[in-house]
Amino acid sequence: MGEVILTMKEIDKSFPGVHALDHVNLEIRKGEVHALMGENGAGKSTLMKVLTGIYSKDSGTITYEGKEVEFSNPRDAQDAGIVIVHQELNMMNHLTVAQNIFIGREMMSGKLINDAKMNKEAKKLFDKLNIDIDPTEKMGNLTVGKQQMCEIAKAISHEAKVIIFDEPSAALTESEIEELFKIIRDLRDQGLGIVYISHRMDEIKVITDRVTVMRDGGYVGTLITKDSTKDDIIKMMVGRVIYEDPKTESTVPKDAPVVLKVEHLNAGKMVRDVSFELHKGEILGFSGLMGAGRTETARALFGADPKDGGDIYVNGKKVDIKNPMDAVKCGIGYLSEDRKRFGIVVQKSVAENSTMAALDDYMSGIFINKKKENEVAQKYVQQLKTKTPNVDQLVVNLSGGNQQKVVIAKWLVRNCDILIFDEPTRGIDVGAKSEIYHLMNELVAEGKSIIMISSEMTEVLRMSDRIVVMCEGRKTGEIDIAEATQENIMHAATLRD
Amino acid sequence: MEKIKNNAFVKKIGFNRLVLTGVLILMYIAFAILEPTFLKYNRILSALNYAYFLGFLALGVTFVIATGGIDFSIGTVMFCSALIGGQLLTVKGWPMAVALIVSILVGTCFGILNGFMVAYMGMPSFITSMASMLLSKGLGSVFTGTQSVSWPQAAQGGWFRKLVKISVNGTQIPTGLICFIVVAVICAIILNKTKIGRYILCLGSNKEAVRLSGVDVKKWEFLAFVICGTLAGIAAIFFVGAYSTVQPGLGDTYNNDAIASCVMGGTSMSGGLASIGGTFIGVMIISLLQEGILAMGFQKDWQYVITGLIVIVAVYADVRSRQRKN
Repeated sequence: MGEVILTMKEIDKSFPGVHALDHVNLEIRKGEVHALMGENGAGKSTLMKVLTGIYSKDSGTITYEGKEVEFSNPRDAQDAGIVIVHQELNMMNHLTVAQNIFIGREMMSGKLINDAKMNKEAKKLFDKLNIDIDPTEKMGNLTVGKQQMCEIAKAISHEAKVIIFDEPSAALTESEIEELFKIIRDLRDQGLGIVYISHRMDEIKVITDRVTVMRDGGYVGTLITKDSTKDDIIKMMVGRVIYEDPKTESTVPKDAPVVLKVEHLNAGKMVRDVSFELHKGEILGFSGLMGAGRTETARALFGADPKDGGDIYVNGKKVDIKNPMDAVKCGIGYLSEDRKRFGIVVQKSVAENSTMAALDDYMSGIFINKKKENEVAQKYVQQLKTKTPNVDQLVVNLSGGNQQKVVIAKWLVRNCDILIFDEPTRGIDVGAKSEIYHLMNELVAEGKSIIMISSEMTEVLRMSDRIVVMCEGRKTGEIDIAEATQENIMHAATLRD
Repeated sequence: MEKIKNNAFVKKIGFNRLVLTGVLILMYIAFAILEPTFLKYNRILSALNYAYFLGFLALGVTFVIATGGIDFSIGTVMFCSALIGGQLLTVKGWPMAVALIVSILVGTCFGILNGFMVAYMGMPSFITSMASMLLSKGLGSVFTGTQSVSWPQAAQGGWFRKLVKISVNGTQIPTGLICFIVVAVICAIILNKTKIGRYILCLGSNKEAVRLSGVDVKKWEFLAFVICGTLAGIAAIFFVGAYSTVQPGLGDTYNNDAIASCVMGGTSMSGGLASIGGTFIGVMIISLLQEGILAMGFQKDWQYVITGLIVIVAVYADVRSRQRKN
């Protein structure tokens, strides 16, 4: 670690009704990777937006390279050498890699754009980063990991001195993450200051030198990573230890009947000959790396995407599921990883969303029985402890965790016995997370059965009775929780052909 | 301002609709000052003639816009219905009742065609409805051999005109207004209280989420177009009830007026949000506007200019309110 390059001191920022940042401190040194951690809504993004001039601060000082600065927009910050690599990549898929990197500052010969020169410059950048990407390739043809490399190259091309990575690993595979870490270490060794925002505790331990923790808009403290444990950091984040021990044995009776049996399911490239059984009262974890085909399996099973082949048996009876309507009739409910797109209608109310899948039961003749609908919605608001002022509230106004509860309510109102939870706690803060876990345990105790797709190892080990592991569209392992370890799951998850 | 918006009464009616009603009243007062004949009952009746058929078109297209789609064929479908029904009645000598039913069914058929192409074949409604606009415009002309058709007057057995207006002791009573209100109320009930309305609004907001809830989204989207087409067929009856002659090759302008009425009334072009009450007031504004423009001796084209400006303002308001919500 070198000298201090950036200091944010006593930064304060309020929005109407919210004290978003409460005297927050952050210090970045040259040649360090500095983690910025906190639950969702802790204020990490707001702090970075203040730094890069998207928001103006109410009070406090920002000192950069020894001078007090205040950027009025991201462009200014960029020109000064502070660059963000965003979580959601802002790429134009139809343009080439080089065109993307130099967007807004195209190299010209006279009045015409000089693509050849940009390709050459882009190549130089990639060489500097030791990565192999063809600058003339269309951006849309690259994997998410490679696209991110381009984003980093773009940051470097701005002569960056401080690079902020906002959850860079969220969409990457394990090997892509390795490559990313290598690049980050390189940049660090070249003397850049790196801010690394992530929820993944394991990564923090591996890649960062120091950790600054925020909670509810306030500054909690800064730790030296190698001198602190995971629990130290978590304790600072939540103010309490919340991670329970992993499940050690299955809670499903040996003779529990099979409620769902899938045989030789095939769908496109991502689902190849997948077979498994789900027992009554079981949580069947689906583990695997990003792109292993778990969501695709669930969607094919649910009839959301077409199948190429395979048999499905519900309660021992062979069923033909051609579309979600058929699946729902069989008592299967699917909770998507992308709630806002596939789970809820955000511009409609909690009540309307709750009865979405079972409206037929809430009719009086041709009219919707609003009273009955509100009653059932209210019932599940109470049962699931959904935080909403009333059932007429539009779902868009609820937090991620509460939106998830509305989706759960939808399937409970429909009385589905088989529930597919796809990344049930993605984008949900730690407190709401344990509530969702609790709820899932209650559901299986009541005799429902759950397929849980999860990319978080701790979640898989904590919740599952049995674990199916997938890799590149195939089932590569099935492990009873009693024998499951991170190592044997990861082993199966990387079993390529 | 916030205080007014949060008032219980204002919230119930809807701020936008109150503003719109204010605009309607102000417009009437302005016309009445500039052109005193607007205080006369006959002038109001004349403005209402336009409101009936436009009203049915606008009510219908409200359903389609609520799904996030659009239907540019309603005006020409209405004319096609009126031409085919009229031709059967006056040239082929079919009974009046049958001709009227055929008129409605022609509209329904176009609704089925549009709905099928959009919901089941996955084509964009912008293009399909443009195609059916051409189809309906052409077919209507072809069916009558490019001749215009005159539906009979009340005295010559045109009893359907009573739907639009009846005369009691020399006083004209606008029964068409009653029909329009009744149908508007029915539409409001369908949209807000029944399954079809619920699913239309939900799928307009997020179709994929509704599909993944196990709902037959294709069916409900299809039905929105069928309702729209059928109402265009009904609009044809009110058009020929108020005016006599239907000329082939026309009708496109009414698409714009109908869609403008909806958008003005707060129905969102991106779907999911619709207001029958708003559409009703929108129709009244457009009808009053066209009567006012004509009465004051301006060219009809000024109506287009003003309608265009109103649409820009209304859509901008919708876009802004959505941006603020996000």
